[in-house]
Amino acid sequence: MVGTTVVGSYPRIGERPEEQSLRRAIARLDKGEIDAAQLRTVEREVVKAVLREQNEAGIDAVTDGQISWYDSQSHIARKLTSIEIGGLVRYFDTNTYYRQPIVRGAVAWKEPILGDEWKFAQANSKAPVKAILTGPLTLASLADDKHYRSKKALALDLATALGEEVSSLVRGGAAQIQLDEPILTRHPEDLAIAIEGLERIRSRKGSARLAFFTYFGDVTPIYEDLLESPADTIGLDLVQGAATWDAIAKYGSEKPLVLGLIDARNTKKEVPGEVAKKVLELRDLVDLKTTDLSPSNGLEFLPRERAREKLGILSAAARQVGVAA
Amino acid sequence: MSALLTTSVGSFPKPEYLLRARTKASKGELSEEGLRALEEKSTAEWIQFQEQIGIDIPVDGEQYRGDMATYFAENIDGTEISGLVRSYGNRYYKKPIIVDELRRKGPISVDWFRFAQARTRKPVKGMITGPYTMMDWSFDEFYGSRETACLAFAKLLHQEARDLESAGAKIVQVDEPALSTRFDELPLLVKAVGVVTKGLRAKTILHTCYGNYNEIFAYFNKLPVDQIDLEMSNSGLDLLERFRREPLRKEIAFGVVDVHSHVIEPESLIRERIEKALTIFDPDKLYIDPDCGLKTRSVEEAQAKLRNMVAATRAVRESHHLTVGKG
Ligand SMILES: [Zn+2]
Repeated sequence: MVGTTVVGSYPRIGERPEEQSLRRAIARLDKGEIDAAQLRTVEREVVKAVLREQNEAGIDAVTDGQISWYDSQSHIARKLTSIEIGGLVRYFDTNTYYRQPIVRGAVAWKEPILGDEWKFAQANSKAPVKAILTGPLTLASLADDKHYRSKKALALDLATALGEEVSSLVRGGAAQIQLDEPILTRHPEDLAIAIEGLERIRSRKGSARLAFFTYFGDVTPIYEDLLESPADTIGLDLVQGAATWDAIAKYGSEKPLVLGLIDARNTKKEVPGEVAKKVLELRDLVDLKTTDLSPSNGLEFLPRERAREKLGILSAAARQVGVAA
Repeated sequence: MSALLTTSVGSFPKPEYLLRARTKASKGELSEEGLRALEEKSTAEWIQFQEQIGIDIPVDGEQYRGDMATYFAENIDGTEISGLVRSYGNRYYKKPIIVDELRRKGPISVDWFRFAQARTRKPVKGMITGPYTMMDWSFDEFYGSRETACLAFAKLLHQEARDLESAGAKIVQVDEPALSTRFDELPLLVKAVGVVTKGLRAKTILHTCYGNYNEIFAYFNKLPVDQIDLEMSNSGLDLLERFRREPLRKEIAFGVVDVHSHVIEPESLIRERIEKALTIFDPDKLYIDPDCGLKTRSVEEAQAKLRNMVAATRAVRESHHLTVGKG
């Protein structure tokens, strides 16, 4: 019946000593006790564990947990031309920080960004691994633009660069690409730029499926336009963005939706039966067979143990929808 | 009249021996009393250092705190402490989880205030982690409403402020680093801080940092405190122009050294910053401090920054013929 997926990030460390390996390794790298290659080995062990946890929970489409990403912005931006990585800036309302990309000149793709990481993850997962890219509008909005002096111009060049990356990922075997544009929950008026960017990226995706995600809030004012956007699937945060629920209930959707109903920012555990009941309210408004359930955003804001439990809740809720429908 | 009084935002780095002791204590290899003795030692050392360089309004340096929110939560009934979550890079922290109605077990920070105040004749600041930050940095499994949780924290933090006042605090600072998290919640923050400071005779301060000050500017005069404490060296020097056009009707503590940089700002640079501030604010309403808590710097860096800050302030006072008066 309904499928399950995650949005992207996953906690890097947990409470158990064996779950602290990455933290210890980075501390040792900082002290010069190990080198970058040794850190990479530890990182990959963590990626395997993260994939195992998702596989064991029965998640249908998984991610590598973005374990090697310093943050959602600089991990992509640092591999593009003319971008320097600057100081720490607060990331939305999360009490976490990202290193701010500083744009010094014309931005372009120069080398694969996620290809190796994606291949490694897929080789270690039973379920298909999604390749996650931060969208051009969000990258442009959170960067310090010293060159274009125009959000749109920067976003569109970023879109061209990301299109190149998507093409390279698809040639490498990725069949599911996800583009994250959380900034749309803060600046819905920029949707036109996001869609123009999406079109550029779509033209490079071949036969891969393209998902378009927003989170950290609602997208009520642009819900209908989002459904018209050139993406195959739309991912919605229905916890912090609970207001979007009314739009779905009013307009439904012909396009497959990912319903972010599991709170990825609070430790409180949902009751699977209640989540299932809520999903079933949409049975006449969306095609449940093409609908997925997900956390409201990446799971890295939760302690590892609770993130794991939320994966279990997600799976259980999806099963109950299947039984009831 | 006192002019350009110097102070600190709150935290100071922990000396090596205390860091080692905390690690030991977390593994159960050092008793609570053993750790407490070392926390007292380093607190006393920081008070002595502030005396020695001539800081007008000292702080206790928060040597006994891990995280500012969990420290308060550990002393509040109805909370648990979460597993580790990431802040950035390789930095992780534990968050409070609200699991039941919030109640203060007893005074939280009063003992440490007393300990510090007993070691100096200058007025030590009482320090409270603000209700909005406590709420925003906690998981909530009980209230299900940010406003209700925030006001529940505010109510018990008001009792804490009262107790600090009874213990002799002439100044109470409310730390709200989360202030600029969600602009639509600024009215809630104003309301909650108002609950904390209501009826206090002590001078009240609100500290915040890393904000988009342009978005929150309109709220500065609405904050129910006597003084606001802002980081100005890192991001805010542009803000001065805005204050020139739209005057602040409160005292301001003006951050003049960057707490995130290893670079020790030379006295001349700090002097320039103070001079700029003096073109807008009255010297008796202008306090000089670092941008934020210095805990992420090394002890040596923190001390060097504070020394230069005090020396620069002294030089500016002299050149303007300002007196210090009684702090
Ligand atoms: Zn601060």
